[in-house]
Amino acid sequence: MTSSNYLILSSIVFSIGFLGIFINRKNIISILMSIELMLLATNINFVGFSSTLDDLFGQIFALFILVVAAAEAAIGLAILTIFFKKSGSISIETINKLKG
Amino acid sequence: MTLTLFYIFSTITILSSFFVVFSSNPVHSVLFLIFSFFNVAVIFLLSDAEFLAMTLVIVYVGAVAVLFLFVVMMLNINEVLVREGFLRYFPLGLLLMSVFLTELIVVFKDLEFFSSNDSRISISNLLDQGHENTKSIGLFLYTDFFIIFQISGYLLLVAMIGAIVLAHDNKLSLKSQNILKQKQVKKDDIIKLK
Repeated sequence: MTSSNYLILSSIVFSIGFLGIFINRKNIISILMSIELMLLATNINFVGFSSTLDDLFGQIFALFILVVAAAEAAIGLAILTIFFKKSGSISIETINKLKG
Repeated sequence: MTLTLFYIFSTITILSSFFVVFSSNPVHSVLFLIFSFFNVAVIFLLSDAEFLAMTLVIVYVGAVAVLFLFVVMMLNINEVLVREGFLRYFPLGLLLMSVFLTELIVVFKDLEFFSSNDSRISISNLLDQGHENTKSIGLFLYTDFFIIFQISGYLLLVAMIGAIVLAHDNKLSLKSQNILKQKQVKKDDIIKLK
């Protein structure tokens, strides 16, 4: 497997996540899932380069990305739950209280 | 053989990520997300990153995706509302995605990468010394990258405290003792003589 195989796979997955952020305007959970897909694509990139360049650092860095993704998901879902409790919906168009 | 397996599993990954974005039921979306994590774990196994593959399954499938599933089931989401505005944003999103993807693929199609020999941690050298994947990650994670490891631990701690503070409901702890109120109670408030 060459590095362009990994790169093309990860750019396709990243673009799907990108598209998911664009088209799901009614549902924050889908946006969080799209962000997870994009982080997964970066992980594929790191592991692919680690495998093709014979360097262990890519795998170690992918481990740190995993940590950040887990923390982000936990905080995002906590904010989502408390927002749903307060407003009764998770639609993006109702989240405009921070406009000032 | 490995290349064929890579193509098969990457095709399944791409298809299931499409279904994550396009399925109308959020529960199905989460299940497809879990499926694509499993396929990426197999791709990691094919590229000799066994520890990371197992960590991906445990952390993502065991913790993050189940958390997503839990929240999706807890919140009552109207399926009709979810699809609203889909057609309005779809053309713009598709245009941006195709431009982005075409650029990336044109750049990445036949690109060669090299790394300098002096600064890298060679996996094949570690294998020759008898250290398999998990052991060699441990050898470097706890020594050379110790500061980053500690900082990521603190990041998880802060995330945990933040999630608890956000989700904590004050109404649930109504039975706690309020000393100021307790001191202000008069005799007449409690005992009534008729």
